[in-house]
Amino acid sequence: MKMKQLPLLVGAALTAVLSSNVVHADGLVFWSGQAAKVEEAQAMRDQVLSGFEGEVDFQPNEGGPWMTRAEAEISAGKGQIAVLGALHGNFTTLADGLMDLSSLDLGDVQMNETFMELGKLGTDELKYIPWMQATYVMAANKKALEHLPEGADVMALSYDELVAWAKNMAEATGSPKFGFPAGPDGLKHRFFQGYLYPSFTNSMVTKFRSAEAVTAWETFKELWQYTNPGSTNYNFMQEPLITEEVWVAFDHTARLANAFNESPDDFIAFPAPAGPTGRGFMPVVAGIAIPKSAPDVEGSMELVKYLAQPSTQIETLKATSFFPVVDAELPADMPAAVQISGEAIAAMSGSADANPGLLPVGLGELGGQFSQVYKDAFERIVLAGQDVQTVLDEQAETLRGIMNDAGAPCWAPDEPSDGPCPVE
Amino acid sequence: MSTLVDGPVRGGRGQRVLFIATTVILCLWVLVPIYLLFVNAVSSSSDVTTFPKPRVPAIDLESLRFFMNYQGVARASWNSLVVACTTMVIAIGIGAPAGYALSRFDFRGKSAFRLLVLLTRAFPLPLLALPLAILYIRVGLDDTVLGIACVHALLAMPFAVLINFSLFSGIPVELEEAAWTLGCNRWQAFRKVVLPLVLPGLTASAIFAFVISWNEVFAAAVLTIEHRTLPAFLLQSLNSAPLHLKFAGGAMLVLPALFFIFAVRKYLFAMWGIANR
Repeated sequence: MKMKQLPLLVGAALTAVLSSNVVHADGLVFWSGQAAKVEEAQAMRDQVLSGFEGEVDFQPNEGGPWMTRAEAEISAGKGQIAVLGALHGNFTTLADGLMDLSSLDLGDVQMNETFMELGKLGTDELKYIPWMQATYVMAANKKALEHLPEGADVMALSYDELVAWAKNMAEATGSPKFGFPAGPDGLKHRFFQGYLYPSFTNSMVTKFRSAEAVTAWETFKELWQYTNPGSTNYNFMQEPLITEEVWVAFDHTARLANAFNESPDDFIAFPAPAGPTGRGFMPVVAGIAIPKSAPDVEGSMELVKYLAQPSTQIETLKATSFFPVVDAELPADMPAAVQISGEAIAAMSGSADANPGLLPVGLGELGGQFSQVYKDAFERIVLAGQDVQTVLDEQAETLRGIMNDAGAPCWAPDEPSDGPCPVE
Repeated sequence: MSTLVDGPVRGGRGQRVLFIATTVILCLWVLVPIYLLFVNAVSSSSDVTTFPKPRVPAIDLESLRFFMNYQGVARASWNSLVVACTTMVIAIGIGAPAGYALSRFDFRGKSAFRLLVLLTRAFPLPLLALPLAILYIRVGLDDTVLGIACVHALLAMPFAVLINFSLFSGIPVELEEAAWTLGCNRWQAFRKVVLPLVLPGLTASAIFAFVISWNEVFAAAVLTIEHRTLPAFLLQSLNSAPLHLKFAGGAMLVLPALFFIFAVRKYLFAMWGIANR
């Protein structure tokens, strides 16, 4: 590059800037906190949204930018976002800036009632309508099955059997083969909130420091002995499952999907284990909402209606591995991940001892701190080896403070409460 | 290269070995990750997880093709380039005069200014992003290339100002004075005497501004919708992508910056005094 070319380059850059400065909207902007993975985003554009009559610009984002941009447009009172898509928890802080969708006519679409109730975000208005759902399951390499303890049914395991299984595998192979998503972006806290606590205490909040909770943590500590120490780096369990670093793992269905799709014959999915108070599991729901700052409300409404149609919901399932929230007949030609995890989800939610624990409701922006209580308890009890009861007593104080600050009443599996959910 | 080898070698055989070993290690330090990145980018998804790598990798362009067909990559790359060039122009356009003023003139608050200019890096962007986005939406800068380039230029400013300050300080003021006595006015002296001397350094600080803009994600992700830059467009999605796509996307992000630095390498080397003109 010669010196004389510099002014030319500068000139070209300036021309480009000025010419591209005209703001033009390519149809409706769908600002999504979900389906951010490249393949999922591509599938959302090519398979799901291509069927919509108008142009849709699908823009997936991570939590930070997603929230900042949405907040900015709502506070500025104008913007480009037509439709917001995100997990239930993301909407709680935005509630005031979202349009009431209760007048939206969905036709003969049968929407899941429980999820519709969640969409009110504790107000009288319908702030978002359910978009898709997922949950967490267990996955296993078929090589692991021969090490199952005697008499154990993999589709109806108990926590004791899981510990025995992990022990068998560790002893047979010489290295721990159970994996757990305890990395910085792993979803470990959901395991404690929605699986461990409901299974042992029939509670998520109220019995946080009870004797039953101590038993739960002791059981988990036992399991941790046979857990791959690399687990503190795992965020998505599909990778270590594919590389066979671990044989058995717990994670979100969307975070296991690659393993199932890549080698459907090598893996099975199965329900989470059961404890003394049932088989705890946590359904996850994502919703779609329209910000009050949306430039074209009519168009946004049409897009929301389109996304709720059973046929769109099935396409969404294929694209994102998130399951429909409406009554929809699943066709036979689904991807391997959908079929494999679909069976496990059906077995889990349909089991006689199923004990669903919902995602935290009504915590607003304290949701992050709520989860931190469980993460801290895990780090102190399991990683640092501190005394279980002491840690739980201290963390219970923090938890009580959060519940009182948020004024959030109990949610399942805790009994409904008047006023903030108590921590006994 | 000869000037480079002459210096440290005189001490004898032992030092020579040490010198070569250090050079090799430093080269490997830079080249091995880039090598792995590109080899994995052109491997099939199943080969990515294998190690050690086969000597002759089986070329499979599937992952790269995915990005070529990925909607919006071309436009995002173009946006990135335009934003980075604009950032460069703004950063040098403000940074060079500021650096010149700092090195040549005495004014009140000079040391305070030098400290203050660093403060633009003291506040984390996620903290500033919300008010900035609201302001941008209100004044109409939102989602424009110029708007995002302004933020990036602000981030590059401390480096531009301070690098230029030391550049100009390295040029004796006597040279300028000589030019004045020979009939140049202040501007002519600057253009004919000082500018040719600082140009390599100026280019280096421009590259720095370019790279800062090229790598910035958060502001770009919040402040743009239609005019996404490549990192804002890809990086967030790559975070949770499977391994083979991470490598392909990483290669796509690195390649243009490598080309750019390669194109202007002469100026960089010139600044370090090892020019091969």
